[in-house]
Amino acid sequence: MKAVVIGTGRIACGVAGQLLRDSGFDVVFVGRNADVVNHLNRLGRYIVRIVDSRKSVDHEVSGIRAVNISDGETAAMEIAAADIVVTSVGVKNLLDIAPVVAGGLAFRRHRANVLAFENFGSSGDMLQLFAQRCLQNSNNAHGFSGAVVTRVVARREGDPLLDEPLVFVADESKTFYVDGTSLLSPLPAIEGMVITTHHQAMVERKLYTFSAGHATAAYLGFLKGYHYIHTAVRDPEVREAVLSAMREGQEALAARYGREIAGDEHDLQEILKRFQNAALSDSIERVGQDPKRKLGSEDRLMGPARLARKNGLKPEKLMLAVAAAMFFAPRADASAAELRKSIHSDGPAAALCRAAGVDPNDTLAASAVRAYCRLEKGKPEKSQLLSLDRLLWS
Amino acid sequence: MKIAFVMLRYAETLRSPVTTDVLRLLSEWGADVDIIFPEDELVSLAEVEVRHDLYVLKSRTEMGLAYAGVLHAAGATILNPYPVSSRVRDKIALTALLQAAGVPTPEAFITADVGSLAPMLERGPLALKPYRGTGSRGVHVVWDPEDLDDVPTTQGPIFAQRLVDRRGSESKIYCIGGQIFGVKRAWPVRNYREKHGDAFTVPKMLRDITERCADALGIDAFSLDVLGDDDNPYVVDVKSFPTFTGVPDAALRVADYIYGAALRALTGEPRLAIAGKRRSS
Repeated sequence: MKAVVIGTGRIACGVAGQLLRDSGFDVVFVGRNADVVNHLNRLGRYIVRIVDSRKSVDHEVSGIRAVNISDGETAAMEIAAADIVVTSVGVKNLLDIAPVVAGGLAFRRHRANVLAFENFGSSGDMLQLFAQRCLQNSNNAHGFSGAVVTRVVARREGDPLLDEPLVFVADESKTFYVDGTSLLSPLPAIEGMVITTHHQAMVERKLYTFSAGHATAAYLGFLKGYHYIHTAVRDPEVREAVLSAMREGQEALAARYGREIAGDEHDLQEILKRFQNAALSDSIERVGQDPKRKLGSEDRLMGPARLARKNGLKPEKLMLAVAAAMFFAPRADASAAELRKSIHSDGPAAALCRAAGVDPNDTLAASAVRAYCRLEKGKPEKSQLLSLDRLLWS
Repeated sequence: MKIAFVMLRYAETLRSPVTTDVLRLLSEWGADVDIIFPEDELVSLAEVEVRHDLYVLKSRTEMGLAYAGVLHAAGATILNPYPVSSRVRDKIALTALLQAAGVPTPEAFITADVGSLAPMLERGPLALKPYRGTGSRGVHVVWDPEDLDDVPTTQGPIFAQRLVDRRGSESKIYCIGGQIFGVKRAWPVRNYREKHGDAFTVPKMLRDITERCADALGIDAFSLDVLGDDDNPYVVDVKSFPTFTGVPDAALRVADYIYGAALRALTGEPRLAIAGKRRSS
């Protein structure tokens, strides 16, 4: 069996590549980073380091090779011969890779399943749409699904120009959910894959609990001056806010999908334990990156908040997290810089409504802006929040 | 990740709770944390090896500093490097450096003859400090020329600083990885509650002064003792890697900072999180 993984980043190698290889697939990566492509071909292996507070276990992923995406014909031939195709390139790049995916699918005699490991709700539909535009008259009845990935891959270590294998540092979680209703049968067995008929619910469950909590930890942690997620959640105020934000998301999910899908307090405590995993050294800059996207109306903060409000709930901590996100300003985050610039030039309300894609009269946005203004009022330049309760700044 | 703290041995009950919590947090986060007590060791200079990714010099003793010097020569990464810690220990070199960097410090003199300070007392009292002293040990305040006769003779230069009225309190400004915190406390401190003091929002002028100190010294974990009023502050002392008592969530902040520094040391990145001058907001 053969799998093609488009992408050579953290999720492509640290999740998809490993699980496919463990499931007996020959794995071919298609990447645009020539250094990484050459490195994977030169070494034919890499390491996935699974870490928690007690242990660190290296899994060697060997017998792999890679193709540069600029060699479109070769990439297409690999896709044409694959039993399954996976993408993990970032949702913004799906449009760019669609011609390559379509080119490969067009050569196929049999229909294929394509899984988009993109951490975005409708990534499967989106990729399908982009690919179909390129496929034109070809047989385009392929299966497409997004994959809801539960594993955190915090970083890649190593230099692709050297001859030591790259190391992807991740937590243990293997499960990923795919949409059984949009894929073609039979699906090959892949370790960790759960086929669900409630895919949208699973997407929202991850986004509205795990991702909402992660983002809350990152944005409030940044405001308080911490650098790592595991540190931020040790701060009692941040920890409480993270749990409350996840509870708000969970309650909203329960109202829409029922308690069985939404989960319970135990699930939230388990998520919090994962945030405490210092061995990941997961940085607040990484988790909070691209706040403009993360403030989107369907994304991890505004999404659960809107669902909560729709069901008569008050998402206060989610709105606090939105307000904190508007202060997020690490040095090398273009999205954060754009958001800050927009806040300075147009004011917080206009900037948030634009980022979230919501109406200027949106009451949730207004509530987040009130929280932002309350924080902003006492914040001197370059200072850290010392107390959320008393709003004391350093 | 291996981290070593170079410390003076205290009874467990006398060690700062912040330091104890920092050690515990780093261990909980998976770091191998060792404590080195230089005063307890016979150190063969030829046999000192760098066994840790990062060293933190907590000790303020001459032996602690000497040990850091040996580690420095062996190529160790020290969070508050030996050359900087050494410079901070020397009040004369430190004051000159701060003055050159535009940091307001009280008028200061050095002399080998204590009697030569007599004319300076016409403009007000002086604090005579051991130039390699720590804390307030060995400090003599002289108001009149005849007080100079009571000053014990010492080896080395005499360092005299114009006395600044404490007005019953002092401000501690702390820098942790470029982040700046202020704590106001009573003077003299009578108990732990008073030592803890009250956190306050650092005004822009003090923030600028602290950043100037960080740039001049090349460290980003230190404290300043600041006297005077809001309009005329004077930096009267600098400590490299103090206990950070009074900073809200101090242990968590310090452990977070050390953890990051150790990761950078492991991956060969620069020691300071913020290279060059001034971090962005």
